Amino acid sequence: MGKRLAGIVWALVFLAVPVLGVATFAIAPAFDIWLPKDVSEHGASIDSLFYFILWLTGIVFVATEVLLFWFIWKYDASKREGAATYIHGSHTLEVVWTIIPAATLLFLAIYQMNAWADVKMRRPAMQPTVEVVARQFEWRLRYPGRDGTLGTGDDLFLVNDLHLPVDEDVLIQLKSMDVLHSFFLPNVRIKQDAVPGMKIPVWFKARETGEFDIVCAELCGWGHYKMKGRVTFEPRSEYDAWLERKYAEQQATQPPAESGDLARAE
Amino acid sequence: MITPSVSNLRHRPAAVPVVLCLASLFMAGCGRTQPASFRLNTVHATKTTAPEGDLERSWSSWSRERQQQVATILEAMFGTPDDPVALAESGLDAAKLQLAAGPVRSDIVGRKNGLYREHCSHCHGISGDGMGPTAAFLNPYPRDYRPGKFKFKSTWRDAKPTNADLVRVLHQGIAGTSMPSFALLAPSQVDALAEYVRYLSIRGETEAALFTYAEQELSGDDQLPTTREFLIDEVLAPIVEKWRAAEDAEIPIAAVPAGVDFSRPGDDPANRESVARGRALFHGDGGCVKCHGVTALGDGQANDYDDWNKAIVEASKEVAGGLEASRETSTSDMSPDRLAEYRTRAEWLHAFAEVLEGDALRPRMIPPRNLRQGVYRGGRRPLDLYRRLYTGINGAPMPGVGPSGPGGKGSVSDAEIWHIVNYIRSLPYEFDGELGADRPMVARDRF
Repeated sequence: MGKRLAGIVWALVFLAVPVLGVATFAIAPAFDIWLPKDVSEHGASIDSLFYFILWLTGIVFVATEVLLFWFIWKYDASKREGAATYIHGSHTLEVVWTIIPAATLLFLAIYQMNAWADVKMRRPAMQPTVEVVARQFEWRLRYPGRDGTLGTGDDLFLVNDLHLPVDEDVLIQLKSMDVLHSFFLPNVRIKQDAVPGMKIPVWFKARETGEFDIVCAELCGWGHYKMKGRVTFEPRSEYDAWLERKYAEQQATQPPAESGDLARAE
Repeated sequence: MITPSVSNLRHRPAAVPVVLCLASLFMAGCGRTQPASFRLNTVHATKTTAPEGDLERSWSSWSRERQQQVATILEAMFGTPDDPVALAESGLDAAKLQLAAGPVRSDIVGRKNGLYREHCSHCHGISGDGMGPTAAFLNPYPRDYRPGKFKFKSTWRDAKPTNADLVRVLHQGIAGTSMPSFALLAPSQVDALAEYVRYLSIRGETEAALFTYAEQELSGDDQLPTTREFLIDEVLAPIVEKWRAAEDAEIPIAAVPAGVDFSRPGDDPANRESVARGRALFHGDGGCVKCHGVTALGDGQANDYDDWNKAIVEASKEVAGGLEASRETSTSDMSPDRLAEYRTRAEWLHAFAEVLEGDALRPRMIPPRNLRQGVYRGGRRPLDLYRRLYTGINGAPMPGVGPSGPGGKGSVSDAEIWHIVNYIRSLPYEFDGELGADRPMVARDRF
């Protein structure tokens, strides 16, 4: 009787895997641990790919796990008398379960090409809006200033506080000063490694105004956890005014009038 | 952490030791850790306990007792890293210190506490000695707050920084060093951290003052006085007063003379004349070329140390010299008294050598800045460059070209400093100077 009970328990343990797995996904949005809000133009295509692959693998996962449970339940050793039967296996079945995943992967590889090209290959023809230089443990920013060219005397230098115009293509030139970092904008569905010695272009178009996180998504050292920035998307007019204000601050020749030699009023 | 011995459990199913191991790992996080404590400035402590005259007992036990006295006084005056004390006379804000001190945690209203350990201590160290676990890998080394010297500030060279100066460094970070920006922390958190830096600094200065007093005033087994008059009025008050005075010690900023237009790049025609004047001053009265070099690449005299490293270098020289001399001394014909003295001194020298080896970072030279890189540690505003030029950089070999105190006279007039600022601003973008287009030493690729 004890052995029969153990068989049932083990079968139920295996059944719990798909049940809990699905439940985790079902309750995730309620606990706000699901995808962050998407404010980018291309994000929808990334998200739909994500959901497509999630459903596809989810269904296969549940089917496989249920099948596993059913085998454990039905072919419990305690219910069987006599020796096990040896079978060589099924050549046809093996061919089928090799070809179906291969074809699925091939389909995915082709199906996602357009989304990949939009994010990584079809770079807008424009000068960089801003240069982002990752560094242990901060994001140093350089705007090209009025002449639109980086590396000239009117560049604007800032740190961690990235502002960008909304509803416009922006092109970021991404660099790293020291080690590998990863420039991650969860709300824009952008994640790009910053590699020392490389200038990597990153582009997108934001559709909503607001403040969002910049985080480092590549373990870069002791202070990785505090390598956080903020991106603010705002209408063109506000963006231009902000640039002007920051440029004026950078040219200051007298301490600001307000108490404390610091303009924090952001 | 207690990990069960796997061998004792071998007869059980394999899952048991695995589960126990995992459980012990989880439980390890719940245990109480050793309370944090401040470390003494052992370099200064050993330096100021050089043996004089005859000691009744061994130097090491005498010195250990003196260090213990100082540690006890400091703990009474300043508390521990987990529970800092803000004496009313220190001018420190206890609420701010509480926010910054202790282990990282949330308090009863969900406010983040332990900010210093979250953001600062892995470089600057629990004691603010600039010797956190990551410090040895950084160049330049993190600031040691204990001598109470700060580089990037708006006050006279020897004065303390204002609160705004500390906040600004936290806010902007220090480009070209490993100090990152904390601009996105809430202003109250940045204020708390600035207060904690001040606290560590005042504590460090008090410690140094106590050891120095003991060295100069005490002999043999004398104890440091523990009266209020001595500790508060004589030791703490002058230090606190210097910090308070900083708020009124800002240097004057001259009006920008005609022909200087900082809203335009340094290479703009509007600034050409001013930049030329700045260049002449750079090479002439300003004396900048001595260290920064005629090309401004920082290739002038480059073999100096800043004050923090210099202290270690000098102490090491003293110890090396002393050890060398003691090796050459013959002890065979010494009188017993002389021999005892000699042995005590040798004991001190060896202890000092050990402290310098173990409790100090290997000294590093401070190269003059390469002004063509366009990286400005103290900030890139013309105002920042003006201040650096006016007072120089406290603690570093960089001298000021302005007056050394109110009413004084500098090597360059206040208005002329603006021309040098203009010249320095133009340097990273100077394509047709001594570094022509064939010398790719421009900011474009050197950010």
